[in-house]
Formats: sequence, C-alpha cells, structure tokens
Amino acid sequence: MAGRKDGKIWVDGLTTQFTGQSLSSLDLVESERDHPTIPVLPDLWVVKIGGQSVMDRGAEAVKPIVEELVAARKAGTHLLVGTGGGTRARHAYAIGLDLGMPTAMLARIGGSVPVQNARMIQMLTAKDGGIMCYPEDFEKLPLFLQLGTIPIMSGMPPFEFWEKAPRVGRIPANRTDAGVYLIAEFFGAKGVLYIKDEEGLYTDDPKKNPDATLIPEITARELLESGQDDIVVERAVLEYLERSRSVKEVRILNGLKKGNVTRALNGEAIGSVIRSSKA
Amino acid sequence: MTEESTASKLITGDGRTHVGSGLMRESLVSAKLMAETDAGEIRPMVPDMTMVAIGGSSIMDRGADAVLPLTKEIAALNRDGHKLVLGVGGGARARHTLAIGLGLGLPLGGLARIVGGVEEQNRDMLQFILAPEGAVTLIKDDFQDLQLFLSKGMIPVTIGQPPYHFWEPPPKEGWLPENGPDVGLFLMAEIFGAPSMVFVKDVDGVYDKDPNRHDDAQKIDRISATELLERNLHDLPVEREVVRCLVNSRLLTSIVVINGRKPEQLRDFLEGRPVGTLIHNHRYVEKEG
Repeated sequence: MAGRKDGKIWVDGLTTQFTGQSLSSLDLVESERDHPTIPVLPDLWVVKIGGQSVMDRGAEAVKPIVEELVAARKAGTHLLVGTGGGTRARHAYAIGLDLGMPTAMLARIGGSVPVQNARMIQMLTAKDGGIMCYPEDFEKLPLFLQLGTIPIMSGMPPFEFWEKAPRVGRIPANRTDAGVYLIAEFFGAKGVLYIKDEEGLYTDDPKKNPDATLIPEITARELLESGQDDIVVERAVLEYLERSRSVKEVRILNGLKKGNVTRALNGEAIGSVIRSSKA
Repeated sequence: MTEESTASKLITGDGRTHVGSGLMRESLVSAKLMAETDAGEIRPMVPDMTMVAIGGSSIMDRGADAVLPLTKEIAALNRDGHKLVLGVGGGARARHTLAIGLGLGLPLGGLARIVGGVEEQNRDMLQFILAPEGAVTLIKDDFQDLQLFLSKGMIPVTIGQPPYHFWEPPPKEGWLPENGPDVGLFLMAEIFGAPSMVFVKDVDGVYDKDPNRHDDAQKIDRISATELLERNLHDLPVEREVVRCLVNSRLLTSIVVINGRKPEQLRDFLEGRPVGTLIHNHRYVEKEG
C-alpha cells in the first residue's frame, strides 16, 4: 500500500541515491563516481558517407565507395552507414535563414536531405542487403547485423525542433557528423569513419587554401584551442570527443581513392585521426 | 555570398553539383560564417502560446493534494482564453529509472532513451484529469498541428524529455543526461516563439539555498541567466542546462519559476504580475506598463 514521504506518494523500493535531491544539485555533479558503461554493440563500425564531399559528386564517387562497403560487409564487418546532407541542405539553410527561421526550424528542414541520400544508398545496396534504419529501428540492429544486412541511416541526430540555439549564428551545431558520432558513442562502436573527398584534416580548407597541410593526428582539445577557423568535421564532434565515455577517436579519410575505405576498416592508420585528449 | 545570377541554379565544375546559395561550398564549420548568419530577425511560430512546465517530483508525485487545485486553476485560465501548453516531468519514477539503469551500466544515450517513459504516464494522468476541459495529448508528430488545438480552446499536454534518445550528447558536467524535461519544454517554447514560459514547482522561486532545508534561505526575485550560472548555487529548482540554453535563446528571453502549491501564482504570471523568480537573458526587454 502506498504511503507518503515528504508529502509525496511513495511505495517501497522507490528510494534510491537520487531520492530527495534535485537532479541539478551540485552534490550529484561533484560526486565523481566511476560508472562503468556496458558496450552495446562493440563490433560495429559506424561509417559516414559525406554529403557535399561524396554524394554531390554523383555516381563516379558514390559507386566505388559503396562497392567497398558491400565487400567489407560480405567479409563479415558489421557496418552502420550514415549519410550527410550536402549542397541541398545548404540551399535549404540559406532560404530558411533568409526567411528568418530559428535554429531548430533549420535543423528540422535540414534533416530531410540526408534522408534522401540515405534512401539513395539503400537503393544502390538493396541487392546486397542495404536496409533503411530509422531512429525507431535501432533496437533491432542486432537482428539486422546478424542477418548480414547493411543498415543505412540519416546522419542527422533526431533533435529537430529541440536543436538548441548556438552562441553565435543560427546554423544548427548538431548536424550529420555529430549525429553519426553520438550514435557510435551510444553503441560503444569499434570505430567511426568519415568518408570525405580530402585526405583528412588540414590546417585550413584545402579547397580554398593551397598552402593548407595535412594533420595526420591531433587531439580534439588541441584542435579546439588552435583557433583554426575551418575544420573538416563539425565542432560539436570535437567537444563530444572530449567528454565521451566510449568512442575516443574518429578517422577522416579520402573515399575517392580506391581501397582507402577497406584499409581503414582493416585498421590501417590512413587519413587523419582526431582523438580525445582524455583517451 | 553567392552572386544573384547563380542563386538556386545548379553549378558544376569542381566535381560536385552544387545548388547556388550563400552557403554553397561552405563546410558550415567556419566561425566567420557562423557570425554572418547571426544577424537578422527571427520569426516566431506560435507566439501567443504559453508553455507551463509542471514538475514531476514537485507536483505530480504529491498526488491529488497538489495536482487538483493546479488543474482547476489551469481549466479556469483556459476558459479565460489563455492558450496554454502543459508539459510534465517524471519525478520519483524517473529518478528510480536512472538509478537502476546507471547500476546496470547503460550508456548515457540508453538512459536518455528510457527515462521519458514515466513522463508519458504523468502526461496521460494530466490529460485524463483535464480531458473534460479539452485536454489532448501533444506528441512530436502533431507539433505542427498546435494551432489547430489552440484555436479550438484545447489544452495540449506533452512530455518534457527532448527526443535526443540514443543521441544524447555527453554532459558538460556529471554523468547523467543533462537534457531533461525542463530543457525539452524550454526548447519547445523557444521554437514556438513564446517570449516567456513558466516552471511550476513546489517552491516560491529560486533561493540562494534550498528553502526546504535552510530557514535563512533568501528568495531571488530577478536574475540574469549568466549571473545565475556564475553564482553556481548548490540547488536549483530547474535543470542547470535550461539556464545555459537561456543564455543563447533568441525569442524565449525569460523564464519564471513559481510555486504550484499556490495555484494563484500561475494566474499572476499569465496576467503579467511579478511573481516567483524571473530569470532572463541579455535579449530580454521589459514589457511596458
């Protein structure tokens, strides 16, 4: 039978370490207890196919990359493939900004383009087991993987109307790089690959600055503190890497060079790796 | 920014097919570009609504004693024409969920995925109580139908937990999801474009220390979000992340924390009388008169 505790309706067993205190209490923040986290899918590779860098190049870029992913899946690698948005997302953002839309509305409309791209990859890979994986489907991933399928998702996190206003500007801070990283962090994934059209991370945008040089390895903190203006992945990924519990590094590679995706999935140190400074 | 002549046209030549726009070829990572998108007016979506966030632990867990007088006041306010959206948190069962989940070693995104389940119970109870007055449940898929509900005098009731689910970002401090129901309802009010929202708790506002434990606790009538964060108070009646969100928010420039055990405070808030604690950001403009 229910009783009362501090004026609240209470039942036996409901009391825990969080009872009677606000979850925003500093006591909770300061109690640096170790909470070991179980790996949910530790054999999973989470791979993002770039929007502007790969999808917008069309068949010439997309098809060889998809072939490598299919071959890896056939060889037994567990893959979850995410897609970026690219130029159509930028066009939609540009119109939305012009119309005075807030960040969360931009996040909502920007999310449609990576879904289009994911569906394109699904159609290309259907005969080899490509299936669409929506946020509601993620609890079925173990089944999909054991059946030898290639689950394909939009890279965008499902924040939509709940995307927070950034400190400066109106473009959503969490886009497809962040979404792919966060889902990998939840799964405790084996690795995260960003397939782009440059060798990796450069000191500046190599498409605009010919003097930019490749950075093969750096910590997220160093990169955040460097003041570098243009970075090959979203800044949110760097911030999350520094606070992560499971996935402590991400790799950026050039998917336009045949064999690179396969090499990275085999564990070769190609492209650039960005690590958490707390790794 | 792109030339007028290329706007919205397909542009090739660098191996990619672009759609001409001011953001064409941009990585969207550049801080300079972010600053360029900062300017300009932001439009609201449903600005005459008011989000009423009802505490799970502070109100719902008290049962009929606290819930019924509050819902009676809400029904009266709705009849007076106030367009209200009710949101609710989880309370004791949410804390129990987190405690068990944490003990099982579930990752952060897993905790965020399950914790909203108890809010759905609270939402359904509130909707049931207020159904004779026109309460309906509001879920994510019906978001863009809000005007339909409000124009018919209905009272939409929603859960607070934002749908970050497995994608919950690692917290800036501590080891629990930092985006709880208060954050979710704040962000909903922000996208609707309401200039203010109210958090209905069981204290008269924000105090310099927990008023339930310290007799000499002093109530703060009004404070900026930045100052509140700097003061780093030991206890806050709202999630700390809400105050961080308020620092950057554009249309929702203030929040008010009131005591739902005194339902008349809700009327005071909606009729523009000073009540509870007002927390505001640098964009906040005081109403005339």
